[in-house]
Amino acid sequence: MLKKLRNPVLLFSLAFLTVAGWLSAAENNPQAVQVTIRTILAGDKSDEFDPKLKGMEQQLKPLKHRSFRALKDETQTIAWQGSKSFEIPGGRSLTITPQDFQENRIGLKVRLIQGDKPLIDTTVKIANKGNFILGGPAHEGGSLVLSISAAAQ
Amino acid sequence: MSQCETVQESIGRWLDGELPAADGDAVRRHLAGCTDCAAARQRLEKIQLSLSSVLAAETPELKFAPFWRELQRRIEEKRPWHEELIEGCRSIFTLPRLAWAVPAAIMLVLGFLSLAKWPIGGQASNYASVESIDAHGRNVALLREDETKTTIIWLYQNPEGENENVEEAAKSGPAF
Repeated sequence: MLKKLRNPVLLFSLAFLTVAGWLSAAENNPQAVQVTIRTILAGDKSDEFDPKLKGMEQQLKPLKHRSFRALKDETQTIAWQGSKSFEIPGGRSLTITPQDFQENRIGLKVRLIQGDKPLIDTTVKIANKGNFILGGPAHEGGSLVLSISAAAQ
Repeated sequence: MSQCETVQESIGRWLDGELPAADGDAVRRHLAGCTDCAAARQRLEKIQLSLSSVLAAETPELKFAPFWRELQRRIEEKRPWHEELIEGCRSIFTLPRLAWAVPAAIMLVLGFLSLAKWPIGGQASNYASVESIDAHGRNVALLREDETKTTIIWLYQNPEGENENVEEAAKSGPAF
């Protein structure tokens, strides 16, 4: 057996399979989710498009607003089944609860509240390192647009 | 070892001119005064003479020309393509190379599966699947942007302070 192990091909194969198995196990069992909320104010008073939002033009295109301005970005790491709140302008808060991770998709429970009134509760599955947009809440004469992205860690 | 033994061991090389000049002179002087060693020298000279005469007699009869012609023909011979292919495959698929092919094949399969999971070029589907949605009586629109494959959930809410009148709220939303 020891003689066989000296064979570089066998050693390489064993090492490769071990590393591949370890990486695969790590990938399928992420410990937490990094959630980033980008808050954007969409309005119609000007044609301003915030350069910080470069790369999101296409995603925002279906929203028939003329101006888009990034208000804030906030990133938090959340453990599975744990939950974290993100402060949203206008006395609102967004609570994210990661649910599960299957087939490289992350299940998220999302709850937007204003004061103590719930505005929307939704459960979505998004691609790992992907995002979706939740918009509509009125703010400063326009609408808030939230880009919610998540990456398994 | 006696001097005679040493000299007799050196006679062959002396006859072939392979000894250094000083050693050759010493052998010559010893042979002049030693009958046994002189006899040994004569025996060796006879053998050398016989071998030379045999080789000289046989060499012209050895037929080198056909050998060289056949060798040249084989070098220049154009082999059929399938024979060359088989020969090429034999040289490629040697046992050590085949052994390395196993982990290489595993790497290729895993790489392919990884690519299927992580498509390159940013064209992976970014669509979110909305499993449940509760807007607590408000209107909601669900939209999918095809180019970036983005899902948009739009909540219709009255400008600023909440107004529970749903119909009015719906009017305030953007037209997609």
